[in-house]
Amino acid sequence: MNNNIIEIRNLKKSYDNGKIKALNGIDLDIKKGEFVSIMGPSGSGKSTLLNMIGALDVAGEGFIKVAGIDLTKTSKLNEFRSKEIGFVFQMHNLIPNLTVLENVEIPLYEANLSSEEMRKRALELLKSVNLEDKINQTPTKLSGGERQRVAIARALVNHPSIILADEPTGSLDSKTGDMILKLMRDLHQQKNVTLVMVTHEPYVGNLADRIINVLDGKIIKLN
Amino acid sequence: MSFLSLVVKNPFRNKTRSSLAIIGIAIGIMVIIALGMVTGGLKASAQSTLKAGAAEISVVQTGSGDFGGGRINESRIADVQKINGVKDAAGTLRATNTSITVQSIVPSPSSGGSFGFSVTGIDRNKLSLAGVDSVNGALYSDGSANEVILGKTAAEELQKNVGDTIVLFGKDFTITGIYETGNFITDGGAFMSLTTLQNLTNNANQVSSIAVKVNENANVTQVSNTIQNTYPNELSTTSAASMANRMNNALSTIDMASWAISILAIVIGGVGVVNTMIMSVYERTREIGVLKAVGWKDRRILSMILGESVVLTLISAVMGTVVAVVGVVILLSVSSIGGVITPSYSPDIFLRAFAVAFAVGIIGGLYPAYRASRLSPTEALRYE
Repeated sequence: MNNNIIEIRNLKKSYDNGKIKALNGIDLDIKKGEFVSIMGPSGSGKSTLLNMIGALDVAGEGFIKVAGIDLTKTSKLNEFRSKEIGFVFQMHNLIPNLTVLENVEIPLYEANLSSEEMRKRALELLKSVNLEDKINQTPTKLSGGERQRVAIARALVNHPSIILADEPTGSLDSKTGDMILKLMRDLHQQKNVTLVMVTHEPYVGNLADRIINVLDGKIIKLN
Repeated sequence: MSFLSLVVKNPFRNKTRSSLAIIGIAIGIMVIIALGMVTGGLKASAQSTLKAGAAEISVVQTGSGDFGGGRINESRIADVQKINGVKDAAGTLRATNTSITVQSIVPSPSSGGSFGFSVTGIDRNKLSLAGVDSVNGALYSDGSANEVILGKTAAEELQKNVGDTIVLFGKDFTITGIYETGNFITDGGAFMSLTTLQNLTNNANQVSSIAVKVNENANVTQVSNTIQNTYPNELSTTSAASMANRMNNALSTIDMASWAISILAIVIGGVGVVNTMIMSVYERTREIGVLKAVGWKDRRILSMILGESVVLTLISAVMGTVVAVVGVVILLSVSSIGGVITPSYSPDIFLRAFAVAFAVGIIGGLYPAYRASRLSPTEALRYE
């Protein structure tokens, strides 16, 4: 039985009328529950690949199927993202005027849940990242590590099948970064969620089950 | 937190900018409501001149104008009464007592247009022709030389009650009753016996106008023309309907001017809303990218921004309404026109203001909301 949650064939993406080839024929399979690191230098196409998997951008050519949905054919990309994907960005990207709890509730607006249910689910996730005592604070009063933990809770609150993390420790000091990586790996294991992480730091990449090296829009090495 | 709570919370991230936008729109709403209350009050007063029972035609001396500056011999009352179609006629003498200052807009013919206290002499049995149907207290007695009834506005201004004394033309008068017609001109004056006023003002056998009530099946214009044609160069007529029309025309002009001012205020306020919302969308570009990344549909983002815009304008509407109502009430209580205008609180005025505020919110928020909903998530997330 095919256990791949992500299947990509000859995926191409270019910008500026084809002058910039961000992805130049990617072939990749990722199994359900896997932790995969995508590594490469700046401009190699690793973030573009992550955006394609998360349906933030559409493919130029090729085939990409994620969680059983052919992303080149569906028009319901928002619905796909809402149900299947959780994003963790380098910058936490929290909404400054909302409390920690309200920030975590944000992805649930499209899930047609009651306010009580939204609150219950957000609280559950905030407990799992040890922030239950900060739920009524705004992000401006939190440390960098705490903000990223809120972002992780937000990424998991809609029970996605895949977490896509783009340099999640890039803006943190090494100690806080290690703590965030451990948390992400633990949550990935506990919730059996597929984790795809873009990084350019080898020690971060080495934590994954598998490393994919990208250069000039192509996969050059699969470990 | 519900989506509605989020929409209500968002506009107050930048309190200064939102407050300025709210003030801009609130001024427009305030203008609409304040002018609506004042012109509505004036219109209601103009309409009351057409009340049932009152005279439809006012006969004056040719060339004397509408305010009773001319004189007609009393014998003409009986002559007019005989004209076909006339049901009743009453002679009235209007005089101005300048020793009392009442806030009235009735210009005094004898004081070169300055404001004075208007006293009308009329037979007590003919008061209904002047629009006085009921009196709080009693009417003056037939031929009494020292009794008077006072209009409600005049009584309030002069702080007089039934039984009090008032000095008119140098003589003490007892106030036997207080009347209210709804007409700001009539309610700002007083009525007394015709003979008494004629004697006091040296106008024996003279009246300043004849109030004419026509038969129910008669044509007012036809009767009016007959009176003028029977006494050419002597008597002129004005119908109450034409006076009310003239007043309404003047009020329509005020209405149009108030609309023009309102539209201008709303355009300025609307530009403020567009500016506020566009700035807000620019500042929140990355955030909108995140909302798209977590699966928000374009329609939800559009609703959020439009909702925020409407929240701003509805708050403006509430503020503008409060300021307008309080402002108009205070202004009328301290200014000279307070006695003659009763502000209108017609729901139409408030509904119109809130509808305008809602429309400005939708129109002002439409472009910023559309722009936000069409942002590409990857570009939005890269925005610095």
